[in-house]
Amino acid sequence: MQTKSKELILSAKGLNKRYGSYEVLRDLNLELEKGSILGLVGLNGSGKTTILNCLLGLQTANSGVISLLNFGPQNLHQSKGKIVGIFDSPSLHPNLTLRENLEHASLLTATARTPQQVEKLLGIEKFAKFKLRKLSLGNKRRASIAHALLGNPDLIILDEPFNGLDAGGVDDVLALIKQLNETDGTSFLLSSHQLPYLENICSHIAILHHGKICLSDRIDNLLSSASSTIKLRTASPSSTSSLIDSHPNIQVLELDAQGYTTLSLTDMSSSELNRLFVESNVPVDELIVQRPSLKDLFQKITNERTE
Amino acid sequence: MNGFAIALQSELFIARHTFSSKLIVLAPAVLAVLQILLEWITEAGGATRNNLLSNPTFDDLVNLNAYGHFVDGMKTGLTVLGLLLVAQAAYSFSYDRDTGMIRHILIRRASKPALIFAKLLQINLIGLISILLLIITTYVTSSLLWEFGAIVEDGFELISEEEILAEISTGLQLAIIPLPAAIAFGLLVSVIAQSATQAITTALGITLAIDIFKSMLGDYADYVYARFQPSLIDASYLQDVSRIVRGYSDVMLNESVLQLNLWMPIPTLIIFVGLTMIFIHKKSI
Repeated sequence: MQTKSKELILSAKGLNKRYGSYEVLRDLNLELEKGSILGLVGLNGSGKTTILNCLLGLQTANSGVISLLNFGPQNLHQSKGKIVGIFDSPSLHPNLTLRENLEHASLLTATARTPQQVEKLLGIEKFAKFKLRKLSLGNKRRASIAHALLGNPDLIILDEPFNGLDAGGVDDVLALIKQLNETDGTSFLLSSHQLPYLENICSHIAILHHGKICLSDRIDNLLSSASSTIKLRTASPSSTSSLIDSHPNIQVLELDAQGYTTLSLTDMSSSELNRLFVESNVPVDELIVQRPSLKDLFQKITNERTE
Repeated sequence: MNGFAIALQSELFIARHTFSSKLIVLAPAVLAVLQILLEWITEAGGATRNNLLSNPTFDDLVNLNAYGHFVDGMKTGLTVLGLLLVAQAAYSFSYDRDTGMIRHILIRRASKPALIFAKLLQINLIGLISILLLIITTYVTSSLLWEFGAIVEDGFELISEEEILAEISTGLQLAIIPLPAAIAFGLLVSVIAQSATQAITTALGITLAIDIFKSMLGDYADYVYARFQPSLIDASYLQDVSRIVRGYSDVMLNESVLQLNLWMPIPTLIIFVGLTMIFIHKKSI
């Protein structure tokens, strides 16, 4: 078997974290390949923020080994700004102006961009002289991202990056993440509840449930391994029913009032299904292939594990 | 640049751009000047009346000398400064943690100990600037309203100008020495407290409680750094200096207390800094 060596920018092994007797993380393992975008998803209270805080050295794990760019969480500062975090709250000084906050951030990192450049990049240049506390939540979020982008980080860790952003803002942030990943090779670890956005942007997904990563892979592998469903409507429901019942590779999942039948196929493609109906003289009005979304996959996994 | 230098730069940047550091620099000087002006207004009326009655008292004579007023101004300024520095130290770390901005510096450039030392140094520097401004404004205001000189009664020099200056210098030195320990105490509370509000109220509450209860501690109070700071219930040496420079001879000096004043704040400072390091190492940010 041929194995392709992967360069890891982040690795956490055997991570355990307890709050009193409550175990938040249990022997958790997580890896992030250089140049990839990893989405970390989990239910509320599943420990996503705790993982990020442990990775960034803001909380201490009870046990486990963490390495980010070969730095441990307690000496990340030695990376000199190569690792940055963007948090669910703005985490900037409310009584400084946006420009002052960015100038302050310039002191903390070898800057690749000027405050003016990042303001323009995030479309917040007109707020440069506003105190941060006067900005809307969305613009504070943009300011946080601008703050992180002053340097040229190799790894950006974002906790709920889409909170408080309008649709346009989300698109801007998604485009920016994509651009930084493609042009600068910046790696990202994103924790979010916004599964459609993660599905759109992430190369890898890790699903956190009951303190463990219960599934982690490339997103295309995960989605292709999950079976598609077919939504079908024909002119003759009775013929459809008898045809399906006679075929062992077809399973009915749902029949709805509009006459749609949802099917699951085993060892059979949608085109083969279509051919079967045509050859059996059952005219097909509609045949929709429903590919599983990250949300479906997530719900399936969390429901299964909860049950 | 190392983490400490970056952290210090960061702290100085915030100090330059925020109101609280400007308040610490300006408020003691403004209040001292205000007090001196009020003294001048009050005393001018009394002295005029006594002169008209051709009955000037020793107090009127003493009050014409600027040194006493200078020391009073310094006492007021240092009392306010002591409280402001404790509050600022208590606020500094806890507020940065409340807003979350501390996370950026810890992740990007500085270790927790480097950040604590940078905060300590920055607040001490602000205190130093405030003291320099306080000395200048108090001196200038006093010299505009009265004259500096020796205390002379009936041609007899009760205390020479050199002796006055030496006492003032000792008094100021002994009053300033406990300030770094006070700052370290505020920072310790800041690291332990759950929020900035809790940190400020706790630090100021304890400081004021020590002020109130220090007389009940008897000789043990001499081992508490705060006993030597000018305060609302003042037991500092500067309080004695205020009378010495006015020519009163009823001041009882205790050399061993002065020695404790000189040396006690240093181990206290070290203990507070050590405890801060222990707590910050364990504390989640």
